Amino acid sequence: MKKRILGSILAASMVAASLAGCGGSKPAETQAAAAGETTAAAATEASTTEAAKTEAASGDEAVTLKWALWDISSTSYYQPLIDAYTSKHPNVKIEMVDLGSTDYSTVLGTQLSGSGSDFDVVTIKDVPGYMTLVNKGVLEPLDEKIKADGIDLGKYNGITNQVTINDKLYELPFRSDIWVLYYNKDVFDKAGVAYPTNDMTWKQYDELARKITNTTPGQEVYGAHYHTWRSTIQLDGILDGKNTIVGGNYDFTKPYYEMVLNQQKDGVCMDYATLKTQGLHYSDAFAQGNVGMLNMGSWFISTLINKIKSGEYTGCTNWGMVKYPHAEGVEAGSTLATITALALPTSAPHKDAAWDFIKFVTGEEGAEVLAKTGNIPAMTNENIVSSIASMDGFPKDDTSKDALITSHTYLEMPANDKSSEIETVLNEQHDLIMSESTTIDDGVQAMNDGVQAILQG
Amino acid sequence: MANTQILTEAEQNNRRRQRKRALVAYSFIAPNFIGFAVFTFGPIILAMIMAFMEWDGNNPMKFVGIQNFINIFSDARFIASLKNTIVYAIFTVPLTLIIALALAILLNQKVHGRNFFRTVTFFPYVASLVAVAAVWNMLFTPAKGGIVNQILLNVFHMPAMKWAAAPKTVMMTIIMFSIWKNMGYYMVIYLAGLQGINGELYEAAGLDGANAWQRFRYVTVPQLKPTTFFVIIMLTINCFKVYDIVYMLAGGSNGVINKSAIVLVYYIYEEAFRNWKLGTSSAASLILFLIVLTITLIQFRGEKNYAND
Repeated sequence: MKKRILGSILAASMVAASLAGCGGSKPAETQAAAAGETTAAAATEASTTEAAKTEAASGDEAVTLKWALWDISSTSYYQPLIDAYTSKHPNVKIEMVDLGSTDYSTVLGTQLSGSGSDFDVVTIKDVPGYMTLVNKGVLEPLDEKIKADGIDLGKYNGITNQVTINDKLYELPFRSDIWVLYYNKDVFDKAGVAYPTNDMTWKQYDELARKITNTTPGQEVYGAHYHTWRSTIQLDGILDGKNTIVGGNYDFTKPYYEMVLNQQKDGVCMDYATLKTQGLHYSDAFAQGNVGMLNMGSWFISTLINKIKSGEYTGCTNWGMVKYPHAEGVEAGSTLATITALALPTSAPHKDAAWDFIKFVTGEEGAEVLAKTGNIPAMTNENIVSSIASMDGFPKDDTSKDALITSHTYLEMPANDKSSEIETVLNEQHDLIMSESTTIDDGVQAMNDGVQAILQG
Repeated sequence: MANTQILTEAEQNNRRRQRKRALVAYSFIAPNFIGFAVFTFGPIILAMIMAFMEWDGNNPMKFVGIQNFINIFSDARFIASLKNTIVYAIFTVPLTLIIALALAILLNQKVHGRNFFRTVTFFPYVASLVAVAAVWNMLFTPAKGGIVNQILLNVFHMPAMKWAAAPKTVMMTIIMFSIWKNMGYYMVIYLAGLQGINGELYEAAGLDGANAWQRFRYVTVPQLKPTTFFVIIMLTINCFKVYDIVYMLAGGSNGVINKSAIVLVYYIYEEAFRNWKLGTSSAASLILFLIVLTITLIQFRGEKNYAND
């Protein structure tokens, strides 16, 4: 027995030694990264103890907040927000942790599971990701803090009501993107057709797209472009306010599928199957200069401005935007919205400091910073809209400015327990319908059956 | 008295030396074994427990008996993933094997530029999957003007195909890609096997009047049996573990895989990290484990027969 114990101890020490050896042979880069990690870990440890002190003592001691987000290099507003905050709170340091955009919600869910995470502030990318975290119980309800600090939720135009779960709110939105219709003025000028307007029905939109289309091989012009997301087509149907995407009946999507499939057949838009396999990004499609209209979220505004400024996009320098087309008899300005929010994990080491930062970003001061970078904050008002529209590179016409004013907004995905499973069904049928592997009727029937089964299960 | 003391001392020395030797041996096994225990064996045990639990990764686990298994077998996506994985394996294993063997035999002969062709065949295996999948997607684009579709139209007068974008042809495209990507690796294994065959056997067969086919059938094939056995096992297990190829070819721009192309490993990933149902996900991985185990056991029994030859 003794022998065995001794053996294992020695073996363990050998392992430790050999691992250390492995460490030595690592490429310098990884070593540096590892070293960085350890110092980061040490720093957080240090700041944890400091935070404990902070809570006990005054509140001016150094705190480092860890903020989970995605795409640091291509997002224009993270650093300005941090700079604006830290200039007022010099004792706070904010460390950004990029979890990548593709699998952001999945990675964040994994990070917050168990008790190993030390994030103070997390960005919530979409509603399904929010629901997952709420169900897992890893987000702090914010209601008491909101009440204590007297935050007026009315300023968020009712969007917080749509993400209140069982009378509790777990996130505060700082960015609220709406969907608009982008168009390339050069394409319209060349075809001698009048620009789209802020009040168009889907029928008028379809006619307009067909007017500017050119199917001559070699000089194709596509009147419209639809990215491969289901939201570009399915969700057009919920804008009349009578239908929802989690209701279990999707008959209302049929006219929109018919319109787009006919356009696809006639060469008005690019072929879905090709777009899917080639993974063509909508921004690249629009930048080629032969796309007339593109329905996309307002996050594309800052991309367009920046990439045109840097000279990367040359085919769409003369762009404009109008309000989303609407169904017959519905007020113009109804559109889809998607919110980006901040939340406080239950495991956050510095809750008070983190809450203060969240308040700043989601409040008016944060909204101003966002607007200056060409992004639409969740808290909008006249001033903010004109601040975005006066940005260098934003189209100069009034129509484009007015396009940002909405009458009704509907969340791309409302808060629902089963949203991620529902998405799977809807995505699959969207793909089948658009690649013409199934008929619209069969595809919609499969959506109805599939989602109803999920809702009952 | 003194004698016995010496004896025991010698014995002790002996023991000490033995212990030392054992320790050295243990310490050499340890790095691998500890890694295996922590990162493979532990999770396997945990997955076996979790297969009977309901768990989202954070809230307390709940015992649900075999409910997870009932759930997955009534889930159309699981059934589809099982079916697709089996179809994939049934086509990929024999086709890769035959093509790899044929290439090995061809490139084992003294042909001009042999090394060049060997490199060309092996290249897809070492090239980055993401990069070659992108190229493949461009060649096999569903557009009518796509390169492969143009060849089909102009040379064979066949209508354009949608390849990875249509449910009917997506598995075929994936299988073709997989064969092309992996054949080089198995070709190298076969080349090694071929070079291990004693040339005298061919000489003797030639003297007995065996023609090329007979030499292949009665000398090459039996001599390659151990290699073939290894290749079949590796191929089958890899087929059941397929994930990346499917994700790259059929995932499309939003990374969602449909029933027509979903495979077991993707289903496991989706259940665990998209839907946060670690229980059903573990149940599915247990099924995958059992399938691979059964196949391996059958093949090992087969190996005994080979050895008796």
